[in-house]
Amino acid sequence: MTDLFAQLRGKRVVCCVGSGGVGKTTTAAAIGVRFAVEGKRVLVLTIDPARRLANSLGLETLGNKATRIEPAQFQAAGLAPKGELHAMMLDLKLTWDELVHRTAPDAARAKAILDNRIYQKLSTAMAGSLEYMAMEKVYEMSASGRFDVVILDTPPTSNALDFLHAPDRILDLLENDAARIVLGPLLTAGKIGLKLFSLSSTYVLKTLARFTGAEFLKDLAGFMVAFEGMYDGFKDRAGKVKALLAGKDAAFVLVTRAEPQVIDEALFFHRALAEEDIKVAAVVVNRSERDPRRYGGADTCEGVREALSLAKIENAGAPPLAERLCQTLDEQARLADLDRREVQRLEHALPGVPLVTVPRLRRDVHDLQGLWQIDGWLAAESE
Amino acid sequence: MLQRGAHSSRGHFTVKDGAGTLWFDMGPAAQYLPAPMGLLDRRLLVVTGKGGTGKSTLSAALALAASRRGKRVLVCEVTARERVSELFGRPPSGTDMRELAPNVWSVHVRPREAMREYALMTLKYKTIYNAVFENRVVRYFLNAAPSLAEIVMLGKVWWHAAREEREGQPGKLRWDLVILDAPATGHGLTLLTVPEVFLQLVADGPLARDMRDMQQLLTDPQRCATSVISLPEEMPANEAVELSRALTAHGLPLGPLFLNSVFERRFTPGERVAVARGGPGLAAAGEAAEAHEARADLSAQYDKLLREQVRAELVRIPHFFDGASGIAALERFAKAIEAVL
Repeated sequence: MTDLFAQLRGKRVVCCVGSGGVGKTTTAAAIGVRFAVEGKRVLVLTIDPARRLANSLGLETLGNKATRIEPAQFQAAGLAPKGELHAMMLDLKLTWDELVHRTAPDAARAKAILDNRIYQKLSTAMAGSLEYMAMEKVYEMSASGRFDVVILDTPPTSNALDFLHAPDRILDLLENDAARIVLGPLLTAGKIGLKLFSLSSTYVLKTLARFTGAEFLKDLAGFMVAFEGMYDGFKDRAGKVKALLAGKDAAFVLVTRAEPQVIDEALFFHRALAEEDIKVAAVVVNRSERDPRRYGGADTCEGVREALSLAKIENAGAPPLAERLCQTLDEQARLADLDRREVQRLEHALPGVPLVTVPRLRRDVHDLQGLWQIDGWLAAESE
Repeated sequence: MLQRGAHSSRGHFTVKDGAGTLWFDMGPAAQYLPAPMGLLDRRLLVVTGKGGTGKSTLSAALALAASRRGKRVLVCEVTARERVSELFGRPPSGTDMRELAPNVWSVHVRPREAMREYALMTLKYKTIYNAVFENRVVRYFLNAAPSLAEIVMLGKVWWHAAREEREGQPGKLRWDLVILDAPATGHGLTLLTVPEVFLQLVADGPLARDMRDMQQLLTDPQRCATSVISLPEEMPANEAVELSRALTAHGLPLGPLFLNSVFERRFTPGERVAVARGGPGLAAAGEAAEAHEARADLSAQYDKLLREQVRAELVRIPHFFDGASGIAALERFAKAIEAVL
């Protein structure tokens, strides 16, 4: 049994990664609770938490505000934290706007960017934008010195590469060199129409315009002009973010579930991280089914019938109780067998990577008490 | 939503709207109404929902069911990894259309290839395409341009659904039904609202014209429906509610809402107590029964939530325990949803 926390000691940033629906947010929050109880000043940065979990973390609203979970809440859950737990829900647009304000040379330029339609699209809806800003926020919060450890619940990206390459993809757009060659005439001529350009550039531009519409290209050119000179600031910043995440202060926790498809995705994720020279500190397998046979007793239909009769329980109902019980026993055992096989496959594929298993709990986890219960499993204390 | 098969000889039909079933007596005129529309009678079906809820399985099962009803079906997958071909026990189709089962085809829609196909269609001349789009610098720029990937991917799906003609039969559409196995919630919504967002940015050009047609298809309840699939768990269910609202707000007509992996209640409270007190011989059986009932409780809880919060017909799919695969597993899935097809 692996103690997850032993793998994370001394880290300043913990990133919970994995495909959607595997319990990244819950895992991130549970890690946060444990560290806070142990005495650390912790920030859990989340993207899209389940509503009740968000409520219990005091995250009713967006807005990039770190909210402290009051000691009284811990006490109500029977916990006495030596440190502090803060939680924050990432506001995508606001994070972008803050970044623009910080990087722009003056207020007029910042406004020109904020008003541009391409920027508005970029900062709200563009694929990869959320991933980029999540990393940006982690860096900012970690560098602020307010927290000993920042735990990131990464966006529910279906593809590991989307997450890792998001900053590059966005920086590609911001980097003027390439687009400048295509949009060159638009950039220099400003608002003059397409027809005035030299033949060779016009040829490419006109063709592109047939494809995307001329307005789009003009908006894009306007965006490029507004961003002029700011690219280096962005790139520099993104470089620091990357260095932090790839460095020894950061740990990646790969979160998964014991389902074949999800395990496949986790392995894919692991490979993608390895290609970026990022080591996975531990794998957490959530909601694994537990074998009811671990409690002992009858495990065949015949045995169940006998045990019922021994306990003087009437074998009534349709189908009779014994049949329903042994069908259920068979089904639950089968679920556990399937999960066990998948966990073994994962262990086999990732030799040497610490692996922690959290069983399926009877209820949804949405409060500190529930998170603390998960901590027992993550720390390999529960059985 | 009109219920297929709910037509009676007396001219009744049922309308379900989340609040319950209403009966309308249409009188003798009802016999002239066209037969109520089944889900599979549309041109384009979109399947979305949180990751891991069974989107690809539903897409594959819908395709199989439609093919068994004599339709030619194409499943378009747009996520990073192909799944549908695997569910049919076939190798990945890749970006070329492949037949997975009689009259069921699939294709993996990837941005780069879709861009090429789409650009060729728009530009007509391959030389122009090569000169412009295969240019390294332009490619670099196109990769970075906001949403262009989503635009061309959706464009390709739309073309298959509404434009592609049967070989040698001009005017006749090649596919009777196209199923789009869309990305999970957020990305799915981004993809489906691409025409709307694009038309706000771009008003002219051939792409804008196509986007307008695309938007018309996506919002036409006679030709298109978007179905959300969920699990009886908090996050998928809440996402299903929010996603359904968002789809409706964007004018995208909802198909039935699918609740996957449902556990039915199996034991009475009295039985549970008796078994729990029944001694060590019943320990494992009692534990199994409690685990089952805990999941049945969650199923009932989220079933209720979805019925209350989403104005679409709810279709339950039981949890299947054996690891059946291939067409048999899809047939079983299709049977579970037969009522709305």
